[in-house]
Amino acid sequence: MSYLAELLASGLAVGAVYGLIAMSFAIIYKSTGLLNFSQGEMGMIIAYVAWSISTATDGNPFIVALGSIVFAVIFALAVERIAIRPMMNEPILSRIMVTIGLSVIFRASVILFWDALPHGMGMPAGEVLVSLGGVQVRAAQIAVIVVLFFAIAGIWAFFRYSRFGIAMRAVASDDSTAQLMGVNSGKVQMTAWGAAAVMSGTAGVLFAIGAELSPSLYALGLKAFPATILGGLDSIIGSAFGGIIIGITENLVGGYISSGLKEVAGFVIIVLILMIRPYGLFGEKRIERL
Amino acid sequence: MRSGYYKETLVEHINLTDTRLQRAWIFIGLIALVAAPYFFDYYGLSLVTLMIITAIGAMGLNILTGWTGLISLGQTAFMVLGAYAYAISTESWDWSPLAGFALAGLVPAAASVLVGVPSLRLTGLYLAITTLASAFIVNHLVLEFDDLTNGSSGIFVNRPTILGFSFDTDQKFYYLVAGFGLATILACLNLRRSRIGRALIAIRDNDNAARVMGINLRTYKLYAFVTSSFIVGISGALYGIFLSFVTVDGFPFLLAIEALAILIVGGMGSIAGAILGAIFIIGLPEVTSFAFSAFGDRAQSMFATSAHEIKGLLYGLVIILFLRLQPHGLMGLWQDAKRLWSLWPLRY
Repeated sequence: MSYLAELLASGLAVGAVYGLIAMSFAIIYKSTGLLNFSQGEMGMIIAYVAWSISTATDGNPFIVALGSIVFAVIFALAVERIAIRPMMNEPILSRIMVTIGLSVIFRASVILFWDALPHGMGMPAGEVLVSLGGVQVRAAQIAVIVVLFFAIAGIWAFFRYSRFGIAMRAVASDDSTAQLMGVNSGKVQMTAWGAAAVMSGTAGVLFAIGAELSPSLYALGLKAFPATILGGLDSIIGSAFGGIIIGITENLVGGYISSGLKEVAGFVIIVLILMIRPYGLFGEKRIERL
Repeated sequence: MRSGYYKETLVEHINLTDTRLQRAWIFIGLIALVAAPYFFDYYGLSLVTLMIITAIGAMGLNILTGWTGLISLGQTAFMVLGAYAYAISTESWDWSPLAGFALAGLVPAAASVLVGVPSLRLTGLYLAITTLASAFIVNHLVLEFDDLTNGSSGIFVNRPTILGFSFDTDQKFYYLVAGFGLATILACLNLRRSRIGRALIAIRDNDNAARVMGINLRTYKLYAFVTSSFIVGISGALYGIFLSFVTVDGFPFLLAIEALAILIVGGMGSIAGAILGAIFIIGLPEVTSFAFSAFGDRAQSMFATSAHEIKGLLYGLVIILFLRLQPHGLMGLWQDAKRLWSLWPLRY
């Protein structure tokens, strides 16, 4: 029983990480129709910057959090402005390829700027072990679950009640009509990229505290694809739950079937899901007019 | 655009060559291909061999991505399958290399049906993700069935002996690869001008219009998947022989990015573009390493230690810069140059 509980707890924690990154995919997809293949890499770079801040400030969690959020926003806006904005009206193939190109660049530059070795984040506050009903969990793992739920609630409220959130939904459903109504779609894209970077950066930093920081952290982005697909690319909240489902499934498969299968469980799930429902579990069915 | 030159019949459109000049260029190209081993040293020849192998893979991907417009990130999956099919059949089962090459094409082709059928309902983004997933699933399967594939320790592959002729030296192996390259070019050119090739391009340009004209999308997309992965599988087998060792680590995911970068650099949907792109992309790290060596020993050793990262950085930059500045790739540049040449001093 406690084995199952442990698997569920760590599955929930890693699932929350996937969920946050999957939400970042979905928020960019929903407001600009683009899937950002470099999202996991952006999270990784933010985690590395957080590590640099943490070693400079002896792991003070508040300075690290503030510094990495500020960096995440600046970083995302710079990437959006330099690489993504000029491609805004290009065909979808070119726009995806730009993000794939970015992902290779980010992956290489992490190893060139920092190094290829795994590191601890050096933040004692996040590594405290908390016992919850007999299961030992790290504080960072609890934090990521809490952050996920705040993110879900915040984003739901933002899209439901705020003026800008409604404008973003308008851009998502029809770009040119929204522009005619006076919505600045460039600003919408900037906001989406900033929010996505903050969420995936948080996920990256908290995951790195709970496990370790290494250049293979970008794989979190790959693992989050199944989560987004499961939830439906255009459903931000659905993606969050998709992440939790994928995280728990992965851990159960790893715990009971084989540790090798754990790595690809998510991918097998999406191939199956897409065979049955090509638009994801919670996604809207797209009806095309000719 | 040469003026005063018209194509009046369908046959003229379908012919592979249309002018004497073109035939002369093809002749010069063939001579260069045959003479290459006599001009290059050991390192240069291995680089040219690698360029041809990569070009074969790129031409395979071109059928799927360039002509049919389906983005595939599963290039490595099919290369791994081809390489393992060849290595297992020739080394473990002692099949003849010809049968091994046939299997290296057929196994990925069969696998591509497995990937292709669920992907038929998907477009764009979703397809990119399923093919990405297939790349990881294949790698995992290779590691899982370790009594067949030897797991992570890999399989040693000998240079093949075909019909009593041994391709054991680098020069002879180069000729084998060059032969496969020519065969691939011919196969692709012929596919391009057949009913299937035209149907695939119609699907890319407008799938609904293609459907109205009587093209069965499912069948033709599957054709594209199967032919593309057959060719990619062959290039994977050749790459395995080139490395003389087949492991999962020998086929990093960067190869899939490399193949897409080649298509973008060369110009989507063009066979000549795929070849030019392969030469550019494989040559780029070499040129960069040469440039680094000009900055002294420290820069050179830095390049040597992080060659993989610098390669990634270069590929990413090349993809983004070409998409931004020259979306039609090197072939587009060539067309522009040709137009400028024949129209000068007029602009159009």
